[in-house]
Amino acid sequence: MSGIFGIFKFIVSSMGVIATSLMLSVANAKDGTDYKSTNYWDITVPPEDISVNGHLIDWLFNYTTYMNLFFFILVCAGLFGFAFIYHHKKNKKPLYTYGNKPVHIWTVTIIGVAVFIGIDATISAISNNDLRNVFLNWPKEEEKPLKVQVMAQQWVWKFRYAGKDEVFNTQDDVVTVNDLRVPINRKLLFQVTSKDVIHSFFLPNARRKVDAMPGRISRIWMELNKAGKWPIACAEMCGTHHYMMGAKLTTYTPEDFESWLGQAQRVAMEVNDPEDLNLYWGWKWEVR
Amino acid sequence: MAFFEQHAHPVPKTFLGKYIFSFDHKVIAKQFLWSGLFFLGVGGIMALLIRWTLAYPGQSFPILGSILFPHTNGIVPPDTYAMLFTQHGTIMIFYAITPLLIGAFGNLCIPLMIGCRDMAFPLLNMLSYWFFFISGALLLSALFTPLGAAAGGWTSYPTLALTFGSPGVGQTLWYMAIFTIGISSILGAVNYITTIITLRAPGMGYFDMPLTIWGIWMTAILNAIFVPVLGAGCLLVIFDRVFGTSFFLAGAAATSGSGDPILYQHVFWIFGHPEVYILILPAWGIVSDLLSFFSRKPAFAAKATALSMVSISVLSILVYGHHMFTTQMSPLLTQSFMTLTMTISIPSAIFFGNWLGTIWKGSIRFDTPMLYSLGVVFVFGLGGLTGLYLGTTTTDFYLHDTYFVVGHFHYTMAASVLLGGFAGIYYWMPKMFGTMMSEFWGKIHFWLTMLGINGVFMGMLFIGYGGMHRRIYNPFYYEELRRLIPMNEFVTISALLLGGSQFIFLFNFLWSVWNGKKAVANPWKVGTLEWTIPSPAPSYNFKDIPVVKCGPHELGNPNLKDGKDFQYQTEELVTS
Ligand SMILES: [Cu+2]
Ligand SMILES: [Cu+2]
Repeated sequence: MSGIFGIFKFIVSSMGVIATSLMLSVANAKDGTDYKSTNYWDITVPPEDISVNGHLIDWLFNYTTYMNLFFFILVCAGLFGFAFIYHHKKNKKPLYTYGNKPVHIWTVTIIGVAVFIGIDATISAISNNDLRNVFLNWPKEEEKPLKVQVMAQQWVWKFRYAGKDEVFNTQDDVVTVNDLRVPINRKLLFQVTSKDVIHSFFLPNARRKVDAMPGRISRIWMELNKAGKWPIACAEMCGTHHYMMGAKLTTYTPEDFESWLGQAQRVAMEVNDPEDLNLYWGWKWEVR
Repeated sequence: MAFFEQHAHPVPKTFLGKYIFSFDHKVIAKQFLWSGLFFLGVGGIMALLIRWTLAYPGQSFPILGSILFPHTNGIVPPDTYAMLFTQHGTIMIFYAITPLLIGAFGNLCIPLMIGCRDMAFPLLNMLSYWFFFISGALLLSALFTPLGAAAGGWTSYPTLALTFGSPGVGQTLWYMAIFTIGISSILGAVNYITTIITLRAPGMGYFDMPLTIWGIWMTAILNAIFVPVLGAGCLLVIFDRVFGTSFFLAGAAATSGSGDPILYQHVFWIFGHPEVYILILPAWGIVSDLLSFFSRKPAFAAKATALSMVSISVLSILVYGHHMFTTQMSPLLTQSFMTLTMTISIPSAIFFGNWLGTIWKGSIRFDTPMLYSLGVVFVFGLGGLTGLYLGTTTTDFYLHDTYFVVGHFHYTMAASVLLGGFAGIYYWMPKMFGTMMSEFWGKIHFWLTMLGINGVFMGMLFIGYGGMHRRIYNPFYYEELRRLIPMNEFVTISALLLGGSQFIFLFNFLWSVWNGKKAVANPWKVGTLEWTIPSPAPSYNFKDIPVVKCGPHELGNPNLKDGKDFQYQTEELVTS
C-alpha cells in the first residue's frame, strides 16, 4: 500500500508544479514574453492581446483560475489528506455518522455558499457588467466606427468596406478576400453572415468570436490598439477544409489605414465591374 | 401474490433464449456491457488516430495506418479526419458510455439493488437492447457508403449536415442511427422508472435505495423527457435531407423559403445539456455508494446527495443556452442562461462536501473500485471547475470552440464517467460473472489510466487557452499555433499511454470472466441487497423477495457484535 501513497504524493507535488507554473505564466503574460520557445509551460500564455477590452476577459479568466485553484486545492487536501490519515491500517474504527448533525449540515452549506459567492456569483456579475457596459454597448454613429461586412463561405472570408459613398453593396465598395485591414484606436463594427454553413469569426488576439450564420446577420464590435499582422480563424466546424479557413488581419495606425483605404478605393473604382452580379454579395447596412 | 413479487420465470434452455433474445435483466446488462466495451475500443482507436494527426501532421500512423489508408501512405486524409472526430464523439457518447453506464449498470443494479426478480417490462428491456444493436449497425454501415460516414461533428449542425454540405447518405444514416438509439434509450428509461417506482422490495422507501439507484433513476427521467426532443430534431433533419423540406435550411442554398439552422441548435442543446447529466448521474451514484462502502461508514448526508441529484437534474433543463453564447442570442437570454448555469455549482459543491465527508474519519480500504471512485472525485473536480469559464459569457467568447472546451467536457463526460464505469465493473464483477478481477493489475490499470487521462485532458485545457480551436485537421496551418506543437505531442503521448493501458484492463477482464478466482457471495462485505444472494446472481435473483429493514449504508455501527462491521438491509438496525 505504501507504494500507492508514494504515487499520491507524486501527484500532489506535480499538482503544485502545475499550479506554480500556471501562476508564473499568468505573470509572464503581462510583460509579453516571446512565444516561439518550445518550453511546455510557455503555452499557458494566451495569444498576445491587441484589443482595448481583451484585458477584461483575461482578468476574468485569471480570477476564475485563482478561485478554482483555491477550491481545487481544498478538494485535493481533503481527498489525499483523508486518504492518508484515515487509511484502514491507521484508523481501525470509523466514525459512525450519517452526516446529519447540525455541524455537518452547516459545514457543507458553508462550502456550497462559499463556492457560489466566491466564484459563481462574482464572475457572473462581472461578466454581466462587462457585457452590458462594453461588449454589448454598441458604438454610436457619432463615434464614427469603421463598418465592415463579413461574409463567410466554404472556405474563405470576404470583407466589404462601404467605399466613398459610405453605402454598402454598391459598385464602389472595397472588397477583399481573406485579408482584413483595420485601423487601431478606432471602434470597429462588423456585421457577419454566411453564405452556406455556419462558420465562426474568431480573432484570438482580441479574445472574441461570433458565429457567421446563414440567414442571420450577427454583429461584433471591438477596438484594437496594436499595429501588426494577426490571424483570423474559423472556429466552427464547416467541412473538410475547415482547418484552412484562416484570414490575415492587418492593423494599421489611423494614418496608414487612410492611405491604404484611399488606394484601395481608387483600385476598386477601376477594377469593379458594375455589371458583375457576383460583386453584390453585400447587404444594406442594418441599423439596430 | 403481492404486486412487487414477480414470477421466477423458468430458466431458458436454448442458446438463443439464454444469450441472445433473453428477457433476463442480467443477461441484457451483459449484452450492453460487451457492446459498450466493443464500441469503447472502436472509439478509442479513432481517438488515437485523431491525436496522432494533431501531433504529427503528415506522418503515417504506426502499424494501423498503412492498412487503413493505403492510398495516402498511412496518413489520415482531411475528409477522413472529419469523419473520425464525428464518429469518435458519437460512438463514445451514444454507443460506449450510454450502454456501459446506463444499459449495463442500469439493468444489472436496479433489480438486484431494489430486491426484485426482473425489470417491470422484460420485453421492452430486450427490445431496448436490440434497438441499440440496430442503431449500432446503422452507424457502422455508414462507414461503407460511397462518401463515407457523417463528418459534420457529433453535434451535426445544419446547414453543414444538410445535403449541400454533406451529400453522402452516411449523414442520413447518422440521424437514423441516433433516432433509433433514442428509441432504445426511451424504452430503457420507461422501464427503469416504472421498475424503481413499483418494484422496490417491501419496506424500501426511496431514501433506502442505494445512491446508485438514485443516479440511474434521475438519468432515466431525463432520458424519458429529453431524448424524444433529440429524436424529433433528427426526424426534421431527415425530412430536410430526404424530402426537401427546409426546417433548417438558410443562406444561398435556400432557394424556396428559408428555415433557421439555429433552431436545430436549440433543439439539440435542450437535449444536449441534460445529456451530460444523463451520462454522469449513474457515475455519481456509484461513486457516492462506493466511497461509503470502502470507507466502512455511512454515506455522509446521503439524503442531501440524493436531493442534489434531483435539483441538478431540474437545473440541467434550464441552462442549455450556454452552448450557444456565440450565436448571439438576445442579451436577456444570454444573461439568464449564464446566471442559471452558475447555480449548478451549489448542488455540485454539496456533492464534493458529502463525498469528502464520507471518507472523513473512515477506515478507508484501497481496493480497486475505491481507487476509481477517488479518481472520479479528482477528475470531476477539474471537469466541474473548468466549466465555469465556459458558463461565463465573456470568457466563453474566447474559449468557445477551442480545445479548452474539448478538455473540459472530456474531463466531465469521458474521464469521470469512464472512471466511474471502471469502478462499477471492478465492483460488480463478482455479481455479474461470479469471479474476481485481479487487484494487482486493477491497481496498475488505475494509475496508468489516471496518468494518461490527466495528461491528455489537462494538456487540452492548456492548448485551448493557447488559442487552438477545435476540429482542425492540421493546426499548424496557422503559424501562430506552431508554438503548441510540443504540447500537442505531449497530449498524444499521454493518449497513447492511456490507450495502451486499457489492454491491461482488457486482459484482466477477459481472464477473470473465464478463469478468474471464484467469488464468494459478498466479497466486499457490503449490506445492499445484491450481496445477500450468491455470486453470480441466480437467474431468479431472490428466492424469496427480501424485506428491507434498514438503509443501504449501515457500516461501522459500534453496536454490531462478533467483529462484524456492516449489516444487511434485510436486518433490523442494531441500536444497542
Ligand atoms: Cu468555416
Ligand atoms: Cu451544457
